[in-house]
Amino acid sequence: MLLGLVLVLAVVLVALLAGVIAPRDPTALDMEALLTPPSSGYIFGTDELGRDIFSRVVHGTRYALLIGVAVVLIEALIGIVLGATAAYFGGWSDAVLMRVVDVMLAVPTLVLALAIAGVLGGGLGNMILAIGVTGWREFARLIRGQVLVIRTSTYVEAAKALGAGDLRVLARHVLPNALGTVIVFTTLEMPAALLWAASLSFLGLGAQPPTPEWGAMVAEGRGFIGQAWWVSTFPGLAIMTTVLGFNFLGDGLRDLLDPRTARIL
Amino acid sequence: MPVAIGVTLLVFSLLHLTGDPIRLLYGLNVPEEIVQQRRDELGLNRPVPVQYAMWLSRAVQGDLGESITTGDHVVAMIAARVGPTLELTVLALIVTLAVSLPAGVVSAVRRNTWLDGISRIAALFWVSMPIFWLGLLFILVFGVWLGLMPISGRAETFWSIEGLRTHTLPVLTLGLPPAALFTRLTRSSMLEVIGEEYIRTARSKGLAERVVIVRHALRNALIPLLTLVGLRLPWLFGGAVITETVFAWPGMGRLLVDSVLKRDYPVVQGIVMAMAALVVASSLLVDLLYAYVDPRIRYD
Repeated sequence: MLLGLVLVLAVVLVALLAGVIAPRDPTALDMEALLTPPSSGYIFGTDELGRDIFSRVVHGTRYALLIGVAVVLIEALIGIVLGATAAYFGGWSDAVLMRVVDVMLAVPTLVLALAIAGVLGGGLGNMILAIGVTGWREFARLIRGQVLVIRTSTYVEAAKALGAGDLRVLARHVLPNALGTVIVFTTLEMPAALLWAASLSFLGLGAQPPTPEWGAMVAEGRGFIGQAWWVSTFPGLAIMTTVLGFNFLGDGLRDLLDPRTARIL
Repeated sequence: MPVAIGVTLLVFSLLHLTGDPIRLLYGLNVPEEIVQQRRDELGLNRPVPVQYAMWLSRAVQGDLGESITTGDHVVAMIAARVGPTLELTVLALIVTLAVSLPAGVVSAVRRNTWLDGISRIAALFWVSMPIFWLGLLFILVFGVWLGLMPISGRAETFWSIEGLRTHTLPVLTLGLPPAALFTRLTRSSMLEVIGEEYIRTARSKGLAERVVIVRHALRNALIPLLTLVGLRLPWLFGGAVITETVFAWPGMGRLLVDSVLKRDYPVVQGIVMAMAALVVASSLLVDLLYAYVDPRIRYD
């Protein structure tokens, strides 16, 4: 949907121009103005350390997008490699993959990612890794479906008849044709990735202060939600808007590409 | 059963092959000898497969180990908290269904009106909502500004005024966001059913429209919906972790977060297993319900 595209582009734009748009350094402290409500000087107010919430939210767009993209990339990589191999070689490897996915289905993604991030020691990089390592199922399933269809097609048969090795067939014929759907799918996975990342950061396992990551910011404001509602509210709003944008976009893309299989929404 | 083994393997390996929990626990200032000694005590210096075998043999006897920080038995810690978590998730699910079923039916019956468009947008809107933010907003509005509900904790039973006060916000926080999505799912399910032959037959028999919709259409529409509920269960438990943290709810989710932050890996392990077990158990329940409700399926 157009609205989705507009929203997403707006977020990307803000992220790119964060340095210009944000009136202040997101980590600068202003001891004179602790916990001030939104006003003309501080559009979104300040937090307990005197930092400008508006600037932090604006800079937060960079983190949000970076994290989202990183997570989805890792998920895609793992999912594609596993899914394609399983589907292409079939038989034993396929059965193993399906078993692994089944096992992982039993554990909620958030729970597993939380545990892994914790064991790795917290921090942004570890969090991204943790989510990526737990969230690849959909990609694997998607690629597997695609490859299963493609591998029985005639041009693959032809390539094999000409003596092409398996790896070559995979790389040059099967994957490029499957990738189209995957690219669309990455948009669909962004909302989930963003929400998981924000949740983990909120729980204390992702971005660490003073990083202006939205989930962590909401957590910071939690302690004084009564006295200073703006500290938690605006970052949360930012999260929701961004996720919403991607959801609209994804919904529109789904409708566009295949109205028959457009999801129930 | 293989799934259970798989889960234990997965969780165990992930937790043991990555990072050194003892070092993380004690920080960098503790001398190496003490760290080593602690590792010996906990058996962490043995090869990982041996550790797994040791853990497994104790686990099947009902012993999941002890917490590194408090020394309590993990099983006891979990058992004390399963109740509140289940209470939260079950109530939340009820709320979700209570909202989405009627709304979905209405949506289906009155489709293509502006109401329909709104419900679609609402679904996307609610699906984008971060649970922790919703919870905080509820606390802000109803707890702080309106002073109606306490902002944390949990009364002993649900069936009391105090219970209603402590339970409402967490349950709504977990139950409302999926409601919009479920409304749409109910709607599609209903639409599919309404187009079926037997609906036409029912109508031609002269039955009142209300009877047709509720007795025949809805009942059959519920069947695929049940499967979708089953798929949503892991999310529900994951969401419970967040909700419990926001509302200081004494459940498994909060214990998990606390333990992860304290690097108390036996507890973390135990809880992840327990959660997986809960998900599997509830999925089984859904499957059984499905078989019961759908007259076309009968297991021998």
